[in-house]
Amino acid sequence: MKLTWRMWVLGIALILSVITIFNINSSVKLLVLILLTGSLFALHKFEGKKSLLLFIILLVVSALLIFSSFESGVVIKSLDKESDFFKQGLRNGEIIKSLNGNKVENMEDYFNVLQGIDVNPNDTVKFEIDTTRNSHIIFTNETPNFIVRDVSKTNIQTGLDLRGGARALVQPSEKINDAGLEELIQISRNRFNVYGLSDVQISGVSDLQGNRYMLVEVAGATPKDLEELVSQQGKFEAKIDNKTVFEGGKKDISRVCRNDASCAIITSCLQNSDESYFCNFRFTIYLNEGAAERHADVTRDLSVDDTGQYLSEKLYLYVDDQEVDSLLVGVDLRGQVTTQISIQGSGAGATREDAYNSARESMNKLQTVLITGSLPYKLEIVKLDTISPTLGGDFINLILMAGAVAIILVAIIIFIRYRKVKASAALLLTSFSELIIILGVASFIKWNLDLPSIAGILAVIGTGVDSQIVILDEAEKKNQSSSIKQKIKIALFVIMTAYITNVASLIPLYWAGAGLFKGFMITTIIGVTAGVFISRPAFADIIKRIGGE
Amino acid sequence: MENQHTKNWYDRYYKIALILPALVLILSIFYLYNFTQRTGDIIYKDVTLTGGTTITVFDGEVDLDKVRADLKINFPDLRVREISDILTGKSSGFSLTTKAEVGEIRPALESYLGYELTGENSSVEFSGASLSSGFYSQLKYALLLSFLLMAAVVFVIFRDFVPSFIVVLAAFADIVMTIAVVDMLGIQLSSAGIIAFLMLIGYSVDTDILLTTRLIRKTEGGTINQRIYDALKTGMTMTLTSIAAVGVSLLLIYNFSDTLRQIFTILLIGLGFDIFNTWISNASLLKWHMEAKKR
Repeated sequence: MKLTWRMWVLGIALILSVITIFNINSSVKLLVLILLTGSLFALHKFEGKKSLLLFIILLVVSALLIFSSFESGVVIKSLDKESDFFKQGLRNGEIIKSLNGNKVENMEDYFNVLQGIDVNPNDTVKFEIDTTRNSHIIFTNETPNFIVRDVSKTNIQTGLDLRGGARALVQPSEKINDAGLEELIQISRNRFNVYGLSDVQISGVSDLQGNRYMLVEVAGATPKDLEELVSQQGKFEAKIDNKTVFEGGKKDISRVCRNDASCAIITSCLQNSDESYFCNFRFTIYLNEGAAERHADVTRDLSVDDTGQYLSEKLYLYVDDQEVDSLLVGVDLRGQVTTQISIQGSGAGATREDAYNSARESMNKLQTVLITGSLPYKLEIVKLDTISPTLGGDFINLILMAGAVAIILVAIIIFIRYRKVKASAALLLTSFSELIIILGVASFIKWNLDLPSIAGILAVIGTGVDSQIVILDEAEKKNQSSSIKQKIKIALFVIMTAYITNVASLIPLYWAGAGLFKGFMITTIIGVTAGVFISRPAFADIIKRIGGE
Repeated sequence: MENQHTKNWYDRYYKIALILPALVLILSIFYLYNFTQRTGDIIYKDVTLTGGTTITVFDGEVDLDKVRADLKINFPDLRVREISDILTGKSSGFSLTTKAEVGEIRPALESYLGYELTGENSSVEFSGASLSSGFYSQLKYALLLSFLLMAAVVFVIFRDFVPSFIVVLAAFADIVMTIAVVDMLGIQLSSAGIIAFLMLIGYSVDTDILLTTRLIRKTEGGTINQRIYDALKTGMTMTLTSIAAVGVSLLLIYNFSDTLRQIFTILLIGLGFDIFNTWISNASLLKWHMEAKKR
């Protein structure tokens, strides 16, 4: 059975899609590529049963090969830049294959090995971490606190609305230009990094009305402080006697101590009279010369308070014009050019642990704004979606089931209408191949499939079946002078016209609604384009072949 | 000839048959005009278009009637809906929607439930009012632009005013009638619902293009009626497979995802009207045009 060039194109497109979709290592990919291309040759070269048998054998072998060689291990999703692991070379996105000589195939393995390692703050432990990129040997007294996840079997990425996560659309208080938006994104990105959230995507979007927004997306569980972190302007001011001594950011502050127990610690935890707890923290910051001299100027003329130990005016700390704490200033600092200042604060909670965590979070937040400085604008969260990962799996299963049932129903209708097994099967296979190609391209361009994208896939499958029915019917028509070739030409004209109207009608979606519905447009255009130029012409050839027999 | 009888019947009544879609279209436009006068907009909008909050709590043990009654006092526009699995029928939680800001409804719900809502046990979707109304006007604009682009392509490809106009008219009628029914059902449209109308433009034009191509192409054999009948067979298979696929998806997803439920509902209504508008309005008008041209 000779294959026409259109069938070859479809076949190759499918093979490429399959090896893009599955997450297998490149040598297996190459092997699968060769095997599957071989299966096409088998179809092309041989006749009848022999060719079909060879084709199916090669297909099955490729499938077995794919399913037995998925990448294993756990992938690092979020790694604090301040941790020893980062400092000694480990990076986000590396896939851990073994830990201290134990093979790590999945999260369970990883946590089992981790449990066996005794880490305490006073002891340095050696970690041997083999990843796909590198072998790391890391000495640390920290517990590995980065987030890991199983390596996915496919390269298909689902959107936040299916997988769970948070999405915030943030609008500056004033109209800004592209440069302003870029600056805002830079500062925010830095702030998330400093805060220790690295699995965060920040991008600029604009809409049809010319508004510019910052889109912040966090995959997986929603961080508790997301709202604050995203929208806080983070204007830090330290004032004595209502005069600003220093502000957050590089201009006034040369270094902020963090993750170093000698200068950033939770000092004490105490119980209140109502049985709740509070914990105090303290960390050191280092001022630049200018700020240090300002400190000297402001404090020079202050008097001493009643105790004789402190100055009469306190140092007040403000974040976004809200007082967060006040500190007494020792007498010996009066008029001094001090570069080293100790910042204090506290956190409260119902239990000792809650209070401790709250203090640690407050300290981290304060350190973050001190390091990154203020944002140039006040921000407003205009849209905030936090989607629980709980239902994600169920949801995807339900969608797959709906898809399967829909395909079976369509198959039944097609069979009732045409009573031809071969043609009906070819139609279904063509629709299925359009789905594979969409998934392949989506994996290749790393598109996140969200709900609008899935609606788009449905639209493609729907119009795809429609187009093939047009082809089938054109070919079926009897008692006419025109040849099957001409009829199919007419069918392809109908399909092409429908295609152009379809694509044209989708274009406005690229901008509308700050691009949040782009997924629909992207998957639909990928799908109908693949359909019109690859799968449906091949289907037409198949029908010609079947009709010609 | 087997369909001799139908042909005669069709030739006699095809112009009269046009009264039906014309009437439905006029009634729909009249209804929508009235609706707009009464409510101030052409559709009911949900919180994704007006601004507001949707909270979904994954807790199947809560008495929803009580939630509704208790929280309605402070949030009069509150809507509560159960989420359940179609196969097991088991309740897996509920979702609640209000125009209030997330900062108002969330603490109220938390104190009612007696536990904190976290990223694990709940999903929260909040849109600010000005953003949402911006989205709404943009999506409306996108829909209009899509329609115009579609119309332009149809005119360019057929290069024949009357048939092109009839195709565009049929698509227009589909959309207007569907909006009217959506309003009658009291459905509050979300942003996804507007996307469904975009999908509808694509679907509804498909069959009209098929019919028009089959009818006006000179290479096609057979009488006009025969060509219409052939196109009808093809077109009905197309639309029926779509209706079957959309219908079964709607059934499965019904109590699970508001977004998809709305998209499927609108498509189902629209596909129904598409049968009507393609095979009565478009077919009859085009036949009329071609018979007139012959003379």
